[in-house]
Amino acid sequence: MDLEMVKYLAELGKLQFTDEQLEKTAAEMTDIIELMDGVKGFDVEYDAHKDNHNVFLESLRVDEKHDSMPTEKVLANAVNRDGAFVVPKVVE
Amino acid sequence: MDSSLKTIRAQREALDAKKISVKELTQEYINNIKARDGEIKSYITVTEEGALAQAETAQKLIDEGKSQPLTGIPMAIKDNICTEGVRTTCASKMLENFIPQYNATVMERLNAQNIVMLGKTSMDEFAMGGSTQTSAFAKTRNPYNTECVPGGSSGGSAAAVAADLCTVSLGSDTGGSIRQPAAFCGVTGIKPTYSRVSRFGLVAFASSFDQIGPIANSAYDCAQVLDCICGFDPHDGTSSREAVPSFGAKIGQPLKGMKLALPKEFFGEGIDDEIRKSVLAAADVYKSLGAELIDCSMPSLKYAVPAYYLISSAEAASNLSRYDGIKYGHRTAEADSYEELIKKSRSEGFGDEVKRRILLGNYALSSGYYDAYYGKAMALRQVIREEYDGLFAKCDAILTPTTPAVAYRPEEQVSDPVKMYQADICTVTVNIAGLPAVSTPCGYNAQGMPIGLSIVGRRFDEQTVIQLADAFEQTFTRISPKLD
Repeated sequence: MDLEMVKYLAELGKLQFTDEQLEKTAAEMTDIIELMDGVKGFDVEYDAHKDNHNVFLESLRVDEKHDSMPTEKVLANAVNRDGAFVVPKVVE
Repeated sequence: MDSSLKTIRAQREALDAKKISVKELTQEYINNIKARDGEIKSYITVTEEGALAQAETAQKLIDEGKSQPLTGIPMAIKDNICTEGVRTTCASKMLENFIPQYNATVMERLNAQNIVMLGKTSMDEFAMGGSTQTSAFAKTRNPYNTECVPGGSSGGSAAAVAADLCTVSLGSDTGGSIRQPAAFCGVTGIKPTYSRVSRFGLVAFASSFDQIGPIANSAYDCAQVLDCICGFDPHDGTSSREAVPSFGAKIGQPLKGMKLALPKEFFGEGIDDEIRKSVLAAADVYKSLGAELIDCSMPSLKYAVPAYYLISSAEAASNLSRYDGIKYGHRTAEADSYEELIKKSRSEGFGDEVKRRILLGNYALSSGYYDAYYGKAMALRQVIREEYDGLFAKCDAILTPTTPAVAYRPEEQVSDPVKMYQADICTVTVNIAGLPAVSTPCGYNAQGMPIGLSIVGRRFDEQTVIQLADAFEQTFTRISPKLD
């Protein structure tokens, strides 16, 4: 895997790497992808109709109102102010 | 600890007969933790004060004749299971200071029986690994040889049981994370059928594979915990409405007429000789107990590791996108923009293995690679399920080794991701097919390291794998680790 691909994937995953980390990661990912290439040898197509073993559509819950988690609990693990999450300014 | 008092069964009898108090039992484990866990490093957080308070409440219930099967039993909980008011780190700097505001459903159920929670156990970061060496806080060691790993990702939970640092623990299993450390540490662990146990409050890794399950000193004890934690939960959309039986109900029933299959691919190249011999010897024990052994084949096994890693990493990359440094989790000290806040928080909070899985998952899902990797892996998932269905048309359970090798020294494997992934070959197909499986000790190698036997059952047939594991355990003498 080349450095450009690692940079692209890092961007997708919202991750930052130093140049040194990029080199190391590219080498590791190359070995990992070589292992993953094993699946290419199997001649079979995915059939979505056979899937969804674990989704029980006949037993969806009743659409009724429930209490939400209290705001103070939602914010308990976050930097917060005035009952809201605090983020850097996003508009000029 | 009195060796006759290590199981839930023995402790239940002793507590109810007032031969020991919950406080005495709890204190003994706390003393063990203080004496041994500096070396074993199985716990990230020890909740001594809370445990002693819970012990008091449990004792009152016992005194009033209101005890339930797990009342007063000292337990350890893997640190990816949310415990209200008790730090839950997932062994990651990302969640170093995270205090859950609610309990996982499994904790609600255990607390309803008034267990005693001794603390939260170490694991591979976000449950990604098989060594517990990617933990940011406690790189757990194997009680049988502290120079070796305990396995993972539930290495802390398995080591804590093996070293008498709790009676029983909860782990989670996405690709073998209960069974492999149970094998490495010489204890019993079961991964239930996918959807049996609610995942609500389990920090998500790969949502279509993750399952919570117990690690204990016997299959009987695992059944006791499963009886408590299984069942439908409206908070988990994949939770099953299948009836929950008494999981130990078939224990002691004769095995005569049962058919046990041994897929040849699990006994071939890459499996350590001593492990192969031990597992085949265990199969012979079943034969002597009246079961019939059947040779069979599972041709798709060679594709299982990449299929598992592609699907689980794709799901992990999506699940871990929630960590943005804003709602909870690590937040970088300084950032000038929203984008920078997210990137710096994630880059500082996640460890190397977690980052590799995110990259792999995004690769498998990205345009131009999706069909070749993720699509193919999903197709293989169907093939593996169908192969298992075919095998179960001819047998009652499947026997395999739990691991291709015994516990190793960290420097031998941990730094090589590919080697680490390949070591999951014996366990991942069970998660891919959503089946129940137990690992129980079946021998020790020349250096005295434990060997695990896996028993895989039909979907929702935990009763049979527990029956089989117990039948073997009745014939097998365990060798405890040498503890100070």
